[in-house]
Amino acid sequence: MKRFGDLTAVDGVSLTISAGETFGLLGPNGAGKTTAISMICGLLRPDEGSVTVAGEPITTTSTRGRAAIGLVPQDLAIYPDLTGEENLKFFGRLYGMTGAPLASRVGEVLELVGLAERKDDHSKEYSGGMKRRLNIGIGLLHKPQLLVLDEPTVGVDPQSRNAILESVENLSTEGMAVLYTTHYMEEAERLCDRVAIIDEGTVQAEGTRRELVSLVGEKDRVAISGTGNLVDAAEALRQIPGVTDASSSDQRIDVLATDASAILPELLASVSGSGGSITGVEVEEPNLEAVFLHLTGKALRD
Amino acid sequence: MPASLRIAGKDLRLRIRDRSALILGILAPLVLSYIFFLVFGPATTGQGLGLEFGVVDEDQTGISASFTAVLESAAAEGILELSVFDDQAAAEGALEEGDVDSYFLVPRGLEQAVFANQPATVEVVGDVDAPNSTQIAASFAERFSSGIAASQLAVVTAATVEGVQVTPDFIQSLSQQPSVAGMNYVLIDETATTKQLDAPTFFAAGMAVFFLFFTVQFGVTGLLEEDRDGTLARLMAAPIPRVSVVAGKAIVSFLLGIISMGVLVVATTFLMDATWGAPLGVALLVIAGVLAAVGIMGLVASVAKTPEGSGNLGSIIAVVLGMLGGTFFPIASSGGILASLTYLTPHAWFMRGLADLSSAAPWTDALPATGAIMVFAVVTSSLAFLLLRRRLQK
Repeated sequence: MKRFGDLTAVDGVSLTISAGETFGLLGPNGAGKTTAISMICGLLRPDEGSVTVAGEPITTTSTRGRAAIGLVPQDLAIYPDLTGEENLKFFGRLYGMTGAPLASRVGEVLELVGLAERKDDHSKEYSGGMKRRLNIGIGLLHKPQLLVLDEPTVGVDPQSRNAILESVENLSTEGMAVLYTTHYMEEAERLCDRVAIIDEGTVQAEGTRRELVSLVGEKDRVAISGTGNLVDAAEALRQIPGVTDASSSDQRIDVLATDASAILPELLASVSGSGGSITGVEVEEPNLEAVFLHLTGKALRD
Repeated sequence: MPASLRIAGKDLRLRIRDRSALILGILAPLVLSYIFFLVFGPATTGQGLGLEFGVVDEDQTGISASFTAVLESAAAEGILELSVFDDQAAAEGALEEGDVDSYFLVPRGLEQAVFANQPATVEVVGDVDAPNSTQIAASFAERFSSGIAASQLAVVTAATVEGVQVTPDFIQSLSQQPSVAGMNYVLIDETATTKQLDAPTFFAAGMAVFFLFFTVQFGVTGLLEEDRDGTLARLMAAPIPRVSVVAGKAIVSFLLGIISMGVLVVATTFLMDATWGAPLGVALLVIAGVLAAVGIMGLVASVAKTPEGSGNLGSIIAVVLGMLGGTFFPIASSGGILASLTYLTPHAWFMRGLADLSSAAPWTDALPATGAIMVFAVVTSSLAFLLLRRRLQK
């Protein structure tokens, strides 16, 4: 828990993240995401509760546990008048890296984030996307056991954003635990194994995407366009296990199902067998935005 | 290597790259001290005031000759230029030509009047376009007349005590006694209790210590800049003690201050003939001064919310302390309440310490002032450290 005066910024946030897992913290601006990860990284002292990373307690005074964490803050945390390489070397030394191992790792990270050719340029000369990549590179430099990324794609162009997301996808394959905060539903859905939905400082729900969706009773929607006897086709679809509802309208059947991807072939076969002729299919799976809306009554980007 | 030194090294590299410390810490004080020296330096020694006097001795006696001798000795010291005229007409002509600003007319019968215990006056005729010079000449003449009057009183008193008449022989006998003092015109009065710095050293030291407070700001304000730019979060997330972040900034401030003061001491010694004094004493004063500056500016940074706020507040404090501390003009010798208030600043103690080192005094003469400055340093640094540490461990 963390209070600022009368404001309770975070309350009852309890997370467990395993090695190799990407855990998402999804919530709108002001939900308490940054406050929560500030406590996790030892930047803020919790008023109640504790943080442990790789078996080490994380506090504002102890230094040992913080060595296991790599932080990528939401605001760019690089020195504009240092080159990309100098930035990496400076922070690497703070994490106890020196000499040849440091130089080697700096080279690796520069390659990883695509800045090797610009390593001798002052970071103030980088584009916004490049600065973001350097920001991430610094967090990765010492090979942390837990990498914390606080909304790393804010204000970034789509191309750079995609590059960042691809980089994050690769991290978990290297056995690194990743805590990723965002207010973009699509990022959480793409990257995260599990997601905690946070709003007004508390965790509203936690689980895989599928678990969260089913938690609130959201169903997949399948829209089948076609001609012929769609009324009978809809009736036949209602008999298929997993279909919650099917209704027909002008040249279209709308189906609600618990897992459309699993029964889609059966649905299409049933329509054809009932005298319908299929001209198009659209599958819409419920997303985390819908879950958030259901849980909080407001949209993610309000 | 301790994290504080790594942070200090990084900051020094950044300051050297943006040249701000170089400009504010070395160039600005060096240029300003030289300008101040050129403009105000001559006025503090009397040299270069441009006093051009004439004298006409119509009395041609021993007393009138003593007046002329005093003027000649002042001329020999470079305080004024003196022209001796045979008669008043020649002096008037020189005055009209502008060759002299004013002239003294010692009237016929001056000595006779002195011995007759009559008022003895010296006339001053001045150019209306040179009121300052004329005023100074009038002061000379008035001083002489007052001296004569005092001597007359002393003679009458002595004669009364001895029960004799005042005669030229009696006066002559008195004048042989060593207690009879002559006039002594000296524009710089060196008292026994406080020494004063010469002009070049005063302006060099004053500007150096004045700008010192701006220079050390670069280090301690850096903490607020890191907070604003987001890098402070990374530093605090790193496995280093929080205090090393504060210490790193303090080290940068200290080094910038020492480098700045060191360069200024050497440069002004060669460029302005400033005489700082015994090197060890100067070093102690400089180190103490830098520590005090770091403490005071650290305190400013600990209460400011933004780097801009810290800069503004720091500048105000630096200017107020600098002016009150006598870095622009010697407040300590002005008297009144300011002469006491000035010692509430480390600047005044720094200048005092250098004055104590003047006239080839040993380095130990700087110890009292050094101790006083260290009190400022310890108090302000301790407060700043506590406030900054609390701020970083919220």
